[in-house]
Amino acid sequence: MSIIQTKNVKKWFGDFQALKGISMDVAEGEVLVIAGPSGSGKSTFIRCINRLEQHQEGQIIVDGIELTNDLKNIEAIRSEVGMVFQSFNLFPHLTVMQNITLAQIWVRKKNRSEAEEKAMELLERVGIPEQAQKFPGQLSGGQQQRVAIARALAMEPKIMLFDEPTSALDPEMIKEVLDVMKELANSGMTMIVVTHEMGFAKEVADRVMLFDDGMLVEENTPEEFFNNPKSDRTKLFLSQIL
Amino acid sequence: MVDLIKKNSKLLRESLFSSVGSSVLTIATTYLVINFFRGMLGFALTSDKDWLAVLNNMQLYMVQAYPEEDFIRVWLSVGLTFVLAGLSIGIWRSDDRVKSSQVFNSLFKGGLGVLFFTIIAPTNSSFMGNDGSVITEEVFSMDTRLGILIPVAIFCAIFFSLRFTNIDFSVNSSDMVFFYLFIPVALLWFIKLPTIQLDQNNERIIPDPVMPIAETTKIPWTVIFVSFLVSYFVGMYLKNIKSIKSIMSLSWFLLPLLIFSWIFKKPQIDMSVVLGSDLPVFGVFLLWGFLVITFVNNTIFKKYYSAYLGVTFLLTLVGVFSGLPMLAKTCLLLIALFSVVVPAVSTSSQGKRSLLIVWAVALVTLTFLLRGGASDSGIVVPGSSIFGGFSLTWLLAIFGTYVSFPLGVLLALGRNSKLPIIRIVCTGIIELTRSVPYITWLFFASVTLAVFLPAGVEFNLIVRVLMVTAFFSGAYFAENIRGGLQSIPKGQYEAADAIGMSPFQKISLIIMPQALRAVIPTLVSSAITAFKDSSLVTIIGLFDFLTIGKTVIGNQSIPVNFVGHDRENLIFVAIVYWIFTFTLSRRSMKVEKKLGLGER
Repeated sequence: MSIIQTKNVKKWFGDFQALKGISMDVAEGEVLVIAGPSGSGKSTFIRCINRLEQHQEGQIIVDGIELTNDLKNIEAIRSEVGMVFQSFNLFPHLTVMQNITLAQIWVRKKNRSEAEEKAMELLERVGIPEQAQKFPGQLSGGQQQRVAIARALAMEPKIMLFDEPTSALDPEMIKEVLDVMKELANSGMTMIVVTHEMGFAKEVADRVMLFDDGMLVEENTPEEFFNNPKSDRTKLFLSQIL
Repeated sequence: MVDLIKKNSKLLRESLFSSVGSSVLTIATTYLVINFFRGMLGFALTSDKDWLAVLNNMQLYMVQAYPEEDFIRVWLSVGLTFVLAGLSIGIWRSDDRVKSSQVFNSLFKGGLGVLFFTIIAPTNSSFMGNDGSVITEEVFSMDTRLGILIPVAIFCAIFFSLRFTNIDFSVNSSDMVFFYLFIPVALLWFIKLPTIQLDQNNERIIPDPVMPIAETTKIPWTVIFVSFLVSYFVGMYLKNIKSIKSIMSLSWFLLPLLIFSWIFKKPQIDMSVVLGSDLPVFGVFLLWGFLVITFVNNTIFKKYYSAYLGVTFLLTLVGVFSGLPMLAKTCLLLIALFSVVVPAVSTSSQGKRSLLIVWAVALVTLTFLLRGGASDSGIVVPGSSIFGGFSLTWLLAIFGTYVSFPLGVLLALGRNSKLPIIRIVCTGIIELTRSVPYITWLFFASVTLAVFLPAGVEFNLIVRVLMVTAFFSGAYFAENIRGGLQSIPKGQYEAADAIGMSPFQKISLIIMPQALRAVIPTLVSSAITAFKDSSLVTIIGLFDFLTIGKTVIGNQSIPVNFVGHDRENLIFVAIVYWIFTFTLSRRSMKVEKKLGLGER
């Protein structure tokens, strides 16, 4: 049973067509890595899945709910889909603890002590329980991204979307974030990860996709994708980045 | 000791005389400052100035013609504010501590400043006599100078030497407030000055008898100080009550309304209106709110909820322009807004119950305040308004900010809205109000506004001025806040969306707090401008603080002739304005520093 289904999704920014008909399925518990050159539409595509961008044609169905203009559906989907951004987007005026508890209290209507308990649990899971009372500006990039992951997990989502989570990090911090993501993948979370970290893709992904020019060029298992790619475009891409 | 001097002289050399250019600048500026001070002090002390013109008119300055038998109301207003302040300081008591060495150091520095300015004070000063000749006289005799220098020098020496002892203690920085307040209250009892007194024939007794200043105000101030102290301790005791902080914030919100509708105004209540109109309206709206809360989760009602909302808003729009009593109009507006919030909050039975309590309390408060505000005032004063002097300036400043700030937030959000009609209307309001001078708006309030109001509705001149002021400074606040909104990166909106927040939650919890924090300096400067601009109301015949000093006292001839003594009064007015605006800007700098925590 696939938890995300997209059918022929198309999107334009003005005259520029960013997505030229993407159809795919993601099964529950699957880890999917999307790779591709910049401008290929991979970020736009996963932003369409929780409606940060609006697709103009085609169908997106998340956990049986179709994304339409109906605000109810959008809110229902957003509360099941967690998202981690390239630039962290933590709330700088709130402490780490408040960042993680805010949505639990206001959206999930939990009481404060319950929410704080959950937050501490998650901070321990991502390995920074001692930073709970600090402000985001006082943390390193890697720590901020781990807080962002904890913030998304606090909503107990069924699906996690990662939009280039390590691209804004110094090399020595990338590992700490990837470790958290690996742990998350092993725990059975459904994940869609847009990334250039091919090591992560090889090790963790169940499937790897290559986007180019708004189209899905290749869809394969990691072994096949890296060792025996089907399309020439993939070969070119791999030769450029590896 | 030698090290200290060496260190300081090195610091001085590096900061003031680091190069030829900076030495020249330092010396030139110092020369200018010293001469400015000498000129001002000499001007203030010559014998043609009569500072009694200021001292003797304090009552006029504060409340103008407010009747003396109702002064208890003024004291109650001030006292209530101080009690609330005491409670708040107790509840929000900070853990910051001020070290004794810091206190000694600043006292020592302050003393040094006084010493310096006493030494450079001018001995002689000249002024122009009535016949046009220049008269030079001694204004600062050697005796006065020594009389100040010697005690202050001893004071400095004490606090300087205290640095080298091992006295070391620290005081909670909140407790220091009492120290600061204690000094002026104590001084009220001890300082004596020449005072104008009249004998049985209404002749001024010459020379003026020396009496304590504030013969009439020292007892009220002492009582207020004591109740401030008591409420501080009560506040510390109440600290741990769960919802005390929100209760206090709400009290601060209601305090000005209570003061101006009930205490300062002395409403004349007609019981037949209360029974015949207020209570039925109150009952109807209480029932309405109760029904909405009870049936909100009913499937049929839920289905037609948006239709119900539309009808309610339409009713409100019609009601506002009909002949309904003021209370009914306000309640209609309130129930419309309330109905929007109900479905989101009343998901649990606990939420429903607290919502019902909130609704009942809001209605009671509103009815109570409106009855006080809409009734006639029992205070009889010559002229158009019961407010004058400093109380009018404060009223305009506080109410101006109080109404215009939320209005500014709404206008800023409206201007950024995606809905075209709201955006156009808000942009229109902002541009229209900003493009017309404030004085024009004041004339509009005093002359034209009545034409735009529904027939039979008539507001006091002050209320009309407040209405245009709210829009005028609201427009400026809106533009400041819009600047703040634009500084928020798109990622913040997306992050809030991605964790499933509703648009209202997103704006009020994520975007607005950051936007406001980014524009605190400009908001404060707008508030200061609004405070100072309140003196413009003089041109439509209201007597604010400045007008009292310049026009009223400048033309006062009974019981003592103060005609022509407006210069002293203008200096006094300027100093008072400066104290308030300076305090405001210092406070805002502290708030900024505190909120800046965690900023990269």
